[in-house]
Amino acid sequence: MAPKGYKQEMPPSGGYADIEWAKRPAPKRIGGIATFGLFSAFTGAMWAAYYFEKRRQKIEELEMRDARIAVQPLLLAEQQRMMLKQFRDNRDEENELMKNVEGWKTGTLWGEPVYNNIRNRWLWPATEEYFAHCPYWEKFNIVYDTLNH
Amino acid sequence: MAFTNEDYLPSKEELTVPELELTSSVLRAGAHHFGKYCDKQCKEFMLCVSEDPDPRKCIPEGKEVTRCGFEFFGKVKQNCFTEFTKYFECIDHSDRQMSLKNCRPPQSLFDECMKNKLGQDRPFLGYFSSPRIHVTERPKPQLTPHKLPERIPDPPDFKNSPDPEHKFSPYGV
Repeated sequence: MAPKGYKQEMPPSGGYADIEWAKRPAPKRIGGIATFGLFSAFTGAMWAAYYFEKRRQKIEELEMRDARIAVQPLLLAEQQRMMLKQFRDNRDEENELMKNVEGWKTGTLWGEPVYNNIRNRWLWPATEEYFAHCPYWEKFNIVYDTLNH
Repeated sequence: MAFTNEDYLPSKEELTVPELELTSSVLRAGAHHFGKYCDKQCKEFMLCVSEDPDPRKCIPEGKEVTRCGFEFFGKVKQNCFTEFTKYFECIDHSDRQMSLKNCRPPQSLFDECMKNKLGQDRPFLGYFSSPRIHVTERPKPQLTPHKLPERIPDPPDFKNSPDPEHKFSPYGV
């Protein structure tokens, strides 16, 4: 026996709505020409912005390069004088250090020149030579420029 | 070391001159005007250095650059001290690269002072980056001539020598 009080569901009055089978295209908000126009306008504006920004950056870089080039002789002159003093100190130190060694000649390896330098060109001494009589950390600090930053 | 006792190295008295002890922001602030004020000395020194990298040969030129730097910064201190101080302090707090772009108002004040007191305009943009011609009296350094080994003897003159007999030539020429 079925329970009492149920109600049979029936179709709504007037029947179901028709099934939508036709294609419903999206509403047209912007046309093709307008899309292309927007693209062109935006790209053009960005090109212009890029051009002006790049020009500004180049001008600033040029100004900074000017400033660096202008003071370079001043710093280079001071640096070269400092290095020449150190060369002399190193030579004196080597003379003092090796004075008791028989057959040692300063600046050479037992009397044999270090470089084959026939035309007497200028050769910058190696870093290990320049800092030969310094503590290791002094060389480290100067070579890796740690004390300046 | 690569220097023997016979090699020339200048003595310390020769090398000791009063050095310009200025911090980086001051040098950056005065760079353009310094470069224009000491144009001749700087160009002479840089030409000397680029012609011969030997630092022993460009000591007088380098001393001249430092002397000119003293002269320039002394004049700035005498005439435009307040403007210049404002300018380099601004540059010191500008940014990590000590850029000049953040300090235009103090720069224009400093330039105006330089124009009025020292009669010097700021050089145009790119003046130091463009090639600058320098005419000097200093002769160009010459390397010592190379000591080449003796020339090996020339081969005998085959063109003018008489033809050898080709009796035993395989081609029978």
